Amino acid sequence: MKPGTRLKSAACDTEVMVIRCADGQIECGGAPMGEAKPAEAAPLSSDFSAGTLMGKRYVDADGKYELLCVKPGKGSLSVDGVALVVKDAKPLPASD
Amino acid sequence: MPTDIQPSGPALPLARWAGRQLRAMAHDYGLPAIAALDGATLMGERGSNNGYTISGRTSAGLGGSRLLPTRDGGWFALTLIRDIDRELLPALFCDAGFDHTAEGAIDAAVVRFDCAELVERGRALGLPVASADEFPASPPVEVMVQGEHRQRVGGDRRLVIDLSAIWAGPLAGHLFWQADMEVVKVESRTRPDLIRRDDPATFDLINQGKANILVDFASEQEKAALIALIRRADVVIESSRPRALRHLGIDADALVREVPGLVWLSVTGHGASEEPANWVGIGNDCGVAGGLSRAMAELTGEIGYVGDAIADPLTGIVAAREGLAALRSGKAQRIGLSMSAIVAMALAEEQAHDRAALDAELRAWGTSVGAPFPNVPRRAIQGEVRATGADTARYLPELAQC
Repeated sequence: MKPGTRLKSAACDTEVMVIRCADGQIECGGAPMGEAKPAEAAPLSSDFSAGTLMGKRYVDADGKYELLCVKPGKGSLSVDGVALVVKDAKPLPASD
Repeated sequence: MPTDIQPSGPALPLARWAGRQLRAMAHDYGLPAIAALDGATLMGERGSNNGYTISGRTSAGLGGSRLLPTRDGGWFALTLIRDIDRELLPALFCDAGFDHTAEGAIDAAVVRFDCAELVERGRALGLPVASADEFPASPPVEVMVQGEHRQRVGGDRRLVIDLSAIWAGPLAGHLFWQADMEVVKVESRTRPDLIRRDDPATFDLINQGKANILVDFASEQEKAALIALIRRADVVIESSRPRALRHLGIDADALVREVPGLVWLSVTGHGASEEPANWVGIGNDCGVAGGLSRAMAELTGEIGYVGDAIADPLTGIVAAREGLAALRSGKAQRIGLSMSAIVAMALAEEQAHDRAALDAELRAWGTSVGAPFPNVPRRAIQGEVRATGADTARYLPELAQC
């Protein structure tokens, strides 16, 4: 997995851009994310259903993973079953 | 190096277009203070006052934006002014080991990709990027939502709430002040307008005469007080991406539907609706996205930035013009302004108006790398420049007792 890869959730509408990653399994809604959407949607795990927010960056505790949400959805993000958290980013103006 | 450096550089392309917009506004609405302004001054005062140099493929002034060649022969404009954006470069270039501090690393990475791929990925990442050969994704001016009419009494001073930052939005607010409106600049406690610190002379010029209030957007009470103020206003100017506005607890569309006659100006890089609303654009890269750098390259063979953050002043002028028209109509409306599309519109209109004169100016600009920016007269400060938060108690009295 390379930074810059766009991953789609199998369980909801979420899409992310990979900013930083290691060898673990990136998941959304409890299901592995992939570059293509699976033909059949995965069930949304109730443990990973807090939702993703457009434009937020999500990180793990060790700073090995960072994902940018480019399309929001109902699932929440995890790596190998461990939930990612929102990185505190400053809002910015759209222009100038 | 050019051999014929003049003490004052070549004329700013599109300044005559800007001047015509100002004169039309002054005539249509009977505004002598706006009749006294000229396009070259509003577009060139920052560069002139700060002694900018025409610097080709690097943007003038701080040099935060650069034009870089891509694998397919295109030109990619990348603006890097914040550390949080530099962290995204490994993702932009699909290279976990990318080190932006290495000499020439960005240039070498850009040339490995086609321009369109970099623009698409850069925009998804929220980076201010552009292609010299793109077509603006949105119309220059778009009425997004409409609401009820308000009957205005002639003598009442219009109230403008200016939530925008840097240059384009604040310039629109400045023109409303010139049109004798009461303008209140709103700054965030955690995120003040950085131009106050980085370029105080320009800040003073475009924010003089405005009241200044400071709002803590983490406080529900302060946000509610601000929204109550907005409900009393005639015009709102804002330049936030949709999610940032939501984060601030401001629902522009709902306010326009609810408050009769409220004119809401959304200043954006590339459009205020659908996907482009999430893209980031600033004055220099939006000038590239509007086709101005390509137009110059076709005349000179050398690509480069035209003017200083040229999309900003052009957009400020158009926003003021559209705001005045909407006020006159009395109908509540949210108007999206796209900086890149406004540059493309100005370019096309000026080409239609006087192609030979514009081409001569673009040719002169493109062949004057290293020359100073044109001198424009330094405008006098005629209004008070209020300190940050100086007027919070006056406009948000419900907060005064705490």
